[in-house]
Amino acid sequence: MSAAAAKPVQRLAPKTRIWTGTRAIAEAVKIADVDVIAAYPIRPYTGVMNELARMISEGEFSAEIIVADSEHSQFEIAKHASAVGARAFVGSSGVGLLYAAEAITVTALAQLPVVALAGCRALDDPGNFGMEWNDTLVFRDFGWLVSWARDAQEALDMTLVAYRVSEDRRVLLPHFVAVDGATITHIASPVAPPDERIDGFLPPYKPPYPLDPDYGPVTKAQHIAPSLIGTEQRKVVDVSAKRSREVIEEAWRDFGRRTERSYPPFVEATYMDDAELAIVTMGAYTKDAVYVAGKLRGRGERVGVVRLRYWRPYPARELRELLEDVRGIAVLDFSYSFGSPDSGGAFYNELRAALYEASIRPLILDFLFAGGREPNVTHFEKAVEVTRRAVERGRPERLVYWPTLRGEDI
Amino acid sequence: MSLQPIRSPRELGPIDYYTSGHRTCAGCGPAIGYRLATKAAGPKTVLLGPTGCMYVANGHQFLTSPYAVPWFHTQLGGGGAAGIGTAAAFRALISKGKRRREEVNVLVYGGDGGFADIGYAGLSMAMSYDYQRLLYILYDNESYANTGIQASSTTPWGATTTFTPAGRVKRIGNERMKKNVALTIAAHPGVRYVATSSLYPPLDLANKVRKALNSGGPAFIQVLTPCPKGWFFDPKYTVTLSRLAVETGAWALWEYEEGVFKLTYKPTRRRPLGDYMRMQGRFTHLSDEDIERLDRMAEEQWKLWLEADERRRLILPWAPPPTPL
Repeated sequence: MSAAAAKPVQRLAPKTRIWTGTRAIAEAVKIADVDVIAAYPIRPYTGVMNELARMISEGEFSAEIIVADSEHSQFEIAKHASAVGARAFVGSSGVGLLYAAEAITVTALAQLPVVALAGCRALDDPGNFGMEWNDTLVFRDFGWLVSWARDAQEALDMTLVAYRVSEDRRVLLPHFVAVDGATITHIASPVAPPDERIDGFLPPYKPPYPLDPDYGPVTKAQHIAPSLIGTEQRKVVDVSAKRSREVIEEAWRDFGRRTERSYPPFVEATYMDDAELAIVTMGAYTKDAVYVAGKLRGRGERVGVVRLRYWRPYPARELRELLEDVRGIAVLDFSYSFGSPDSGGAFYNELRAALYEASIRPLILDFLFAGGREPNVTHFEKAVEVTRRAVERGRPERLVYWPTLRGEDI
Repeated sequence: MSLQPIRSPRELGPIDYYTSGHRTCAGCGPAIGYRLATKAAGPKTVLLGPTGCMYVANGHQFLTSPYAVPWFHTQLGGGGAAGIGTAAAFRALISKGKRRREEVNVLVYGGDGGFADIGYAGLSMAMSYDYQRLLYILYDNESYANTGIQASSTTPWGATTTFTPAGRVKRIGNERMKKNVALTIAAHPGVRYVATSSLYPPLDLANKVRKALNSGGPAFIQVLTPCPKGWFFDPKYTVTLSRLAVETGAWALWEYEEGVFKLTYKPTRRRPLGDYMRMQGRFTHLSDEDIERLDRMAEEQWKLWLEADERRRLILPWAPPPTPL
């Protein structure tokens, strides 16, 4: 053995930065060497565009950054850049996402792998900087993949994985990386950017039929007769969304090998091995939920926490496996859906639909945090207690609670 | 490579890039414009089509395509952004060495609904950028023709449409005056090339398309394209009506090149507006007096166009709205 080969390779610990969520995501966009970025301001997602504009202005990387006239234009710009063969990044929050709704919808139905940051924010009226999930959950039906980060580190990692999954020929669907407004977008926390081992994680983006004269004529998204291929075209999107599951699993496995940060692909379970009660949620408040579960375990209560990392594709299989054996579920829900089944939130009713096919159906209660007023751990503790009492009694007093509401919960 | 001006239609060559395989109406003005514009732009072109006649009528039940160059749909209000996204992608890919270096034309062919109304802000945004070989063509058939002839902001005063029908109480039909989108685009600072055109004279549109693509910045052409379905005339008169529009002063042909204004067609004597209007069913409810008054307005405006041409500077041809009798 030569001396050189015997020399131990010293691997430096990854350098940790203190970054906000938007700053961390900007780093992922830079690592992904994105080509076209379309910006339009709305809080709380805007920070990512401020960071990217600064990076490009300082020469940290090169991309066309367009200051658009509206969110609709923003998403149209990203969609069309993607059709040519450019890697595109875009994003918005709250009513901005709804203003862009048409462009967002066609991006998925035309199967263009744009990645967008959704910085979740309450919808108008009245204007409100608080955090709700409805701005993003409304896009659940069109083929967008939606992942939900719990902190700045995961937001960075999810952005890189989003490009890998979206651009895969088996998928070719756009991807929202959703982060909770303020708690992730604006709060700085330790983030370790990936080192050089990430090179090669993202192969160059090559659309199958680029809108480029070099590749010959292609007519894309022509008006069609519904009877001719309407149904088949929708089936193609359906199959792509289904196939994304295997691609997501592969991507996170590879990501784990390259960063030594491993994530379960779809659902993160904490204290679930022997849990009788489960808290189910997404995003930043999972940390508080885990704290509450730990505290209650100290008192001998068998409480676990389940966090969805993906909302689309919806991890129904994983949730059924994890939740079939629990007796009660407290859903921490930052969405609403007025007039819905039992007046539960969109997040809650989706979970109920998924668990309808479980062999034993647990009791599921919705704790709905609407309007942006921040909950705290006592609300979550109370939610578990209410769920435990309902389980003990064998039937719930009611299905939906508004814990942060002042006044009577009618 | 810059595109050369032409003196004969033959110089455009035999190849069409907008060809058979669509199902537009007989005598469709926008389709003739599409054919001429794409011939002038040539094969190194990407076409983008906002929703409208030139989207829906160019699609076909049997999935044939009339486009011999890459084409992609964009939403009704997305024309401006689609052009910018496409041009930005080419610039980024070429400057980062991800695509070979070559000039590609981006041509967005949108209607008056798409560019004068719902996508006006996006068009304005696009004109404030510096992308080269990016051309927006507004095919102006003066209504939402595809959805059944509803008024847009380029529908002329006095036209009857399904949203502005002439009736016993509302005698005039459309009481808004036609928006001259090209003039508003000319107001964007630094804009290199803005023009108006029609299907007559025959070489006008092709040469303006080539000038626009060579101009070194985003460019805009508003092309008046008569619509037999919406204007109610015999399909064989599409080009005749284009000619009458420019000879009566209903539609002035001009170009605005790096701040210099020029009328590109000056009839020796302006014909009376009635020659143009009386050929169209959408104006038949108007009285001789109405048309007379509109003709006097056209005369006043025409003087301003001539003055602008003489001074080589843009003058906004203002006229008071005609009050219905």
